[in-house]
Amino acid sequence: MGSTLVSAIGFGVVLASIIAVAAMGFTIQFGLTNVLNLSFGAVMTVAAFSAYLANEHGVGGWSGLAVGGLAGAVLTLVLGRGIFKPYARRGAHLFEMMMVTLGLSLVINYAIQAISHNNIYQFAVLPSRPFQLGSILITHTQLVIVFISAAVLVALESLLRLTKIGRALRAMAADPELARACGIRTGRIVVLTWLLSGFLCGMAGVVYIINTQSVGYTTGQLFLPLVVAAAILGGAGSPLGAVLASLIMGIVTEVVAAFGSDAYSTVAGFGILVLVLLSRPGSVRGGQSGHTQLTL
Amino acid sequence: MHVRKIRVALVACGVAACAMAVVAAAQGGRAAGGKVTVAGVIALTGSSDFEGQNQVGGLYPAIYAINQAGGVNGDQVVFKGVDTRGDPADALPAVQQMLATTSNLVAVAGPDTSSAPTIVPVLNQAKIPMMAVAGESVYDRNTAPYFWRLFPPDAANGTAMVLWAKRKGYKRVAAVFGTDSGSQGDKPGVIASLKALHIQLVANVDLTPTQPTYLSSARKVLAAHPDVIMTESDATTAGTFFGELKSLGGLVPIIGTEATFTSPWLTAVKGALGSDFLTDYTGLITAPSKPTAAVTEYRHAVTAVKGQEPKPWQSYLSNPFSITYYDGMIAVALAMVATHSNDPKVFNTAIPSVTNPGKGKKIVYTFAAGKAALAAGKHIEYVGATGLINFDKWHNSFGNQEAVKSTSSLKPVSLGVVTAQQIQAVPVKGA
Repeated sequence: MGSTLVSAIGFGVVLASIIAVAAMGFTIQFGLTNVLNLSFGAVMTVAAFSAYLANEHGVGGWSGLAVGGLAGAVLTLVLGRGIFKPYARRGAHLFEMMMVTLGLSLVINYAIQAISHNNIYQFAVLPSRPFQLGSILITHTQLVIVFISAAVLVALESLLRLTKIGRALRAMAADPELARACGIRTGRIVVLTWLLSGFLCGMAGVVYIINTQSVGYTTGQLFLPLVVAAAILGGAGSPLGAVLASLIMGIVTEVVAAFGSDAYSTVAGFGILVLVLLSRPGSVRGGQSGHTQLTL
Repeated sequence: MHVRKIRVALVACGVAACAMAVVAAAQGGRAAGGKVTVAGVIALTGSSDFEGQNQVGGLYPAIYAINQAGGVNGDQVVFKGVDTRGDPADALPAVQQMLATTSNLVAVAGPDTSSAPTIVPVLNQAKIPMMAVAGESVYDRNTAPYFWRLFPPDAANGTAMVLWAKRKGYKRVAAVFGTDSGSQGDKPGVIASLKALHIQLVANVDLTPTQPTYLSSARKVLAAHPDVIMTESDATTAGTFFGELKSLGGLVPIIGTEATFTSPWLTAVKGALGSDFLTDYTGLITAPSKPTAAVTEYRHAVTAVKGQEPKPWQSYLSNPFSITYYDGMIAVALAMVATHSNDPKVFNTAIPSVTNPGKGKKIVYTFAAGKAALAAGKHIEYVGATGLINFDKWHNSFGNQEAVKSTSSLKPVSLGVVTAQQIQAVPVKGA
C-alpha cells in the first residue's frame, strides 16, 4: 500500500515533468496573447516526429530536444504570424480564435496521420535500465526528464524576472496598451513569445517520446487536455504556477491509476481543475490582469 | 412510309424494353449485365479506421475474383463503403442512409463489434445478408436469419489463447485489455478459460484508450510477476503501454487475440518494443490447417488489386480479418449463383448449401470453380482461404486457431495449431 503510493507519486512526478515543460510554454503564450491555442498538441506531435526523423538521419540522443524545440518554435511562429494574426486583424475574438486553433489542430493531425500511415515508430534513442529509488522504480532517462523540467522552470523564471525582455513580456501580459505606450516593442515581444512557447512545446513533445520510446500521430493530442488544464490551474502567464499545477495533475492522475483504474485518472485530474475554476473563474480569461483582448 | 417504319421500330423497342424490365423484375429487380452492390459497413475513419482497411483488404480481392469469373448471374459486383466511425451513434444514420439510397444492394460486409448491436437488427429487418466480424457471445446463439459469422466468437479466441499458454507451460497470466468494447469482448473468454484450465490470473488490468501514460498500470503488471501477458487493445494504447512496460524492465511474453494480428497493432507494438517484439509476441488467429488452392487464389487476387488496397498491400496477404471477409463474400456470391437469383430473400438461405460439407458435394476452392461446378449441375462445398466453412444452425462457423509469431515485415510464422475440437472441449463457464 505504502510502496504503491510512493511509486505512484514517483510516476506522477515524471508525468508532471513532461506536462510541466509543455504547460510552461502554453502559459507564457496564453498569458500574453490570450489565444487558447488548441493546436499546441499538434505542434508537439510535429516536433516529436522532427526529432524522430533527425534521429533516423544520425542526429540522436538528447540533441533531439534541440531539433524538436526548433521545429516547434518555427511552426508556432508561422502559425502565430501567418494565421492567428491575420484572423485577429479581421476581428476574430477569443472564441473565434479558439475555433481557428482547433481547426488547425485537426488539419495538422490528419496530415501527420496520413503521412505516418497511422504507424507508431520506435524512438528508443536513450534506453536505460530501471533501478529502485526507495519504493520508486525509475529509469535514468526519467530522472533526467525531471531535471530538464526543473531547469526549464529556473531558466524561464530567470528570464521573466531578471532580464529586460522578461520584464517587457510581463508588462505586456499585464496591460498591452500601457506597455506599448511605454515604448515597449510589442510586436517583437509577441514574436519572441511565439518562439519561446513553440520551443518549449517542441521540447515537451520530444521529452514525451523519449519517455515512451515511441512516436505516433496522437502523441501531442493525448497530452493537450492535461497541458491546458495545468496552464489554467496554475494561472495564465505563470511558469511556476504551471509547474505546481502539473505536479498536482500528474500525481493525482497516477495515484488514482495505481489505486483504482486509469479510466478515472485523467477524470480525477480534471475534477481538481473544475474545483479550482469554481473558486477562480477568472483563470480561463488569460492574461495577468484578466484583459480579454487578443494581443497579436 | 419511312416515318411509319421508324414509328413501328420505336414501338417495338419500347415493348421489348418493357418485356426485359418485367423479366428483370422477376429476377429480383436487377437487369442482367448490370451491377449489384456489396456494402462494407465498418469504421473507415476515426481511431478504428484500421478495421475498414482490413475489410477492403479482403473485399477488393473477393470482388476482383468474382468479376473476373464473369460476376454473379451476369451482373458485376461493385463496392460501397459505409463509415460507422466505430461508433453506433454514427453507424445507425449511415446505414439508414445506405438502405435508402443504394440500389441493388445484395449483401453487407460487417458490422463490427462496436456497431453490431445497433446495426444487426436494422439489416435483418431490411433482409440484407451480413457477414459480420462481431465477436460478442450474444451471437453464439444468433437467431437473426440474415446474420452470418465466419469468425470465431471472442470466447473461442480467448480459450485458444489460454490453451496455447498452457501448452507453453505458463502458470501466471496478466490480462491486459483495452476498455473499448472490441477489446473487452475477448476478456471474459480468457478469464473463464484460465479458471477452467487452472491457470492463475495474477493481474487484471484495463487500459483506457487515449491516456498519455500507463506507467501505474505497467507497474501493476510488473508487481504481479506474470509469466505471460494476454492482451488486446487499440494500437496506440498498446504501443504506449508496452513501451512503458519495457522501459520499466517488465517485458514478458505476450499472447494477443486475433485482433492484435493487424498491421496497425503489430506496427505500434513493434515500434515500441523493437527487436524484442519478434521473440515475445504470439498471436492466435484463424487459419487453415493446411495451405490450399483457396489460399493461393486469395493471394493472387490481393496481388492483382494491390493498387487499390490500402498500404501496405502485402499485409493483407495474411491478415485474418481480410481473409475472412474474402471468404464471406465468395460464399455469398456462390449462393447467388446457386439460386440463380440476386434477391437476398432468395439466396440468403442457400449460403450454407454452398459451403457446408455434405455427401456427394464437389469441393471447390475458388469462385470460378464453384460457378463452373454449379453450372454443371453439381452441389458444391466451398473451402475458403480460412479453411473449412461449416455454418451451424446459429449461422456461426469457425475452425482451428493458429498460434503465430510475426516477422519483421509483419507476416505470420506458424508456431502451432489449436484445433476447434480442443477449444470446444474446454469446459468454459461464464464467458
